[in-house]
Amino acid sequence: MNLWAYVLRRLLYVIPVILGVCFIIFILFNVFSPDPALLLLGKHATASQIVELRRELGLDRPWILQYLDIVKSAFTFDFGRSWSTKQEIFYMIKQGAVPSLTISLPSFVIASTVALSISLLVAYFRGKFIDKAGVFLCVALMSISSLAYILFFQWLLAYKWGMFPIAGFESGFPDFIEYIMLPLIIWLILSLGGDVRFYRTVILDEIYQDYVRTARAKGVGERVILFKHVLKNAMIPIITQIVIQIPFLILGALLLEAFFSIPGLGGMTLSAINSSDFPVIKAMTILSAIAYIVFSVITDVLYTVVDPRVRLS
Amino acid sequence: MSELILEVKDLVVDFRTDRGKITAVNGVNLEVYKGKTLGIVGESGSGKSVTALSVMGLIQKPTGNVSGGEILYRGENLLDKSVDDMRHIRGNKIAMIFQEPMTSLNPVFTVGNQIIEVLELHQSHLSKAEMADKAVDMLRLVGIPSPEQRFQEYPHQLSGGMRQRVMIAIALACEPDILIADEPTTALDVTIQAQILDLMNKLQKELGMGIIFITHDLGVVAETCDDVAVMYCGRIVERADVQTLFKDPKHPYTIGLMDSIPSFDSTQDEHKARLRTIEGMVPSLFELPSGCSFQDRCPRVIDECRGAKGVPVLSNYKADHKVSCFNPSH
Repeated sequence: MNLWAYVLRRLLYVIPVILGVCFIIFILFNVFSPDPALLLLGKHATASQIVELRRELGLDRPWILQYLDIVKSAFTFDFGRSWSTKQEIFYMIKQGAVPSLTISLPSFVIASTVALSISLLVAYFRGKFIDKAGVFLCVALMSISSLAYILFFQWLLAYKWGMFPIAGFESGFPDFIEYIMLPLIIWLILSLGGDVRFYRTVILDEIYQDYVRTARAKGVGERVILFKHVLKNAMIPIITQIVIQIPFLILGALLLEAFFSIPGLGGMTLSAINSSDFPVIKAMTILSAIAYIVFSVITDVLYTVVDPRVRLS
Repeated sequence: MSELILEVKDLVVDFRTDRGKITAVNGVNLEVYKGKTLGIVGESGSGKSVTALSVMGLIQKPTGNVSGGEILYRGENLLDKSVDDMRHIRGNKIAMIFQEPMTSLNPVFTVGNQIIEVLELHQSHLSKAEMADKAVDMLRLVGIPSPEQRFQEYPHQLSGGMRQRVMIAIALACEPDILIADEPTTALDVTIQAQILDLMNKLQKELGMGIIFITHDLGVVAETCDDVAVMYCGRIVERADVQTLFKDPKHPYTIGLMDSIPSFDSTQDEHKARLRTIEGMVPSLFELPSGCSFQDRCPRVIDECRGAKGVPVLSNYKADHKVSCFNPSH
């Protein structure tokens, strides 16, 4: 079976999964949540006002139609309007995605590259001082709260040394660069510890395999063993780790966006939650579910490219 | 006598472990001749694989360390070679195949790719096309059917026996002087075992390499080896050519090994003799007794073995038949 047929079939499987996800979202928002009409109108609303608003919001229609609304929005990305800003939600998401991705994409690419390089380095010097120091540093980095990093670097690099603005955002090249530097540094530090430890374990798992001994017996040098033989075998867990993080990039970094006043999707979601802006929360939930599903399909497809043992069936 | 190509002299190999230092190989002497097969026999932990890995320069530091002796390949001590020099010898002049054919090939590269890799390392004067041709030739040589197709396949598409043939093809691609085979047939079905042994015998005749054949199976030794060294707890306890060893074993351990081979003797059919085994267990390398390591399991143990006279030395019992025993069988 060829690759494209496989990709197409995997994508067809996505449809029932999305229908299921929509059903769960429907249950969460339309059955278990408090009545939005009550939330919007407050304590002193009269019964007729509530009935009026429920009709306006379409909450008096049969459940099946309300469910189909969610399904429709999952496929058309038409999420309606926000209750608080009255803007098109799709437009809001488009607006928020730019600052979010401006922060998260470079941070993610740089952090993953750095983590992978460091883990190859410590794996090469396994058992030696560099390796032990590296592992110690990883644990140390992971043990400190992210808030501590944010506050410390805002104080030191931005306030004390004035290298970057403390917070804020400017879109457009090259203006955004100085605004993303500080979040990028903090992102790097936050993800480095866990990533290096994970990649190092994956690589060392492979280094003790029999095929590595065979490669040595053939006269292959340690560096080629690491970069060719070991790395290609370690690719499956590494790809999983990397691709599975991508949906979270699209959602924006809640904490960083909040602390650096970046008008991204993370901040938008937070304020929607605070103001019970159900359509926005619902839209972000649907969007993240779809992103997660799509990227898990991409992971599966990448497996077949990397590992000949993974069959296309 | 044919040409001497490898000589191991007084080899000592230590390993550092959490429980302290152990000496896995302790004063081993071996000679490998062109076109001949030297068998190393012994139980697990007797030091046979460690001896082989030392010859390859594959004892992994810092846990393992070759702390004494010489490994002379055509007169040059391999222990003095630099890491790069050893890389040019490994897979080129001295090659090795392993016990685990299922896991010894890299799962993400094609069979052809893995043969070509060894050619790229040691025969870089060949062009890409010549290397591919040679790889296919090697697959044909080791008896793999439709080699052109197998060339493009991945290890998981091949059976265990076929994978071991591929390992042999990789090992022999550069026509090495010495092939070290570490229990190459242990993990295979009996019928496949015989095929692989036949193949190795045949290729040895064609290519004339010396073979170090490591096994715990005396039946395999009888079939393949010219000379045999029996190892126990890091030392060689008996050395002889294969006929002498089978006809006239002297060390009680060798005799014990021979007795534990099931035999099909028609005269004994009436009162089938029970298969004899060697009593007891191999002592841990952490707590070897003083004197002979085999004393606690030995049916011929005498007072001298208990340590007063030290460790028995491997000495000539006859010309070309050495035994390390205070009370060898007569």
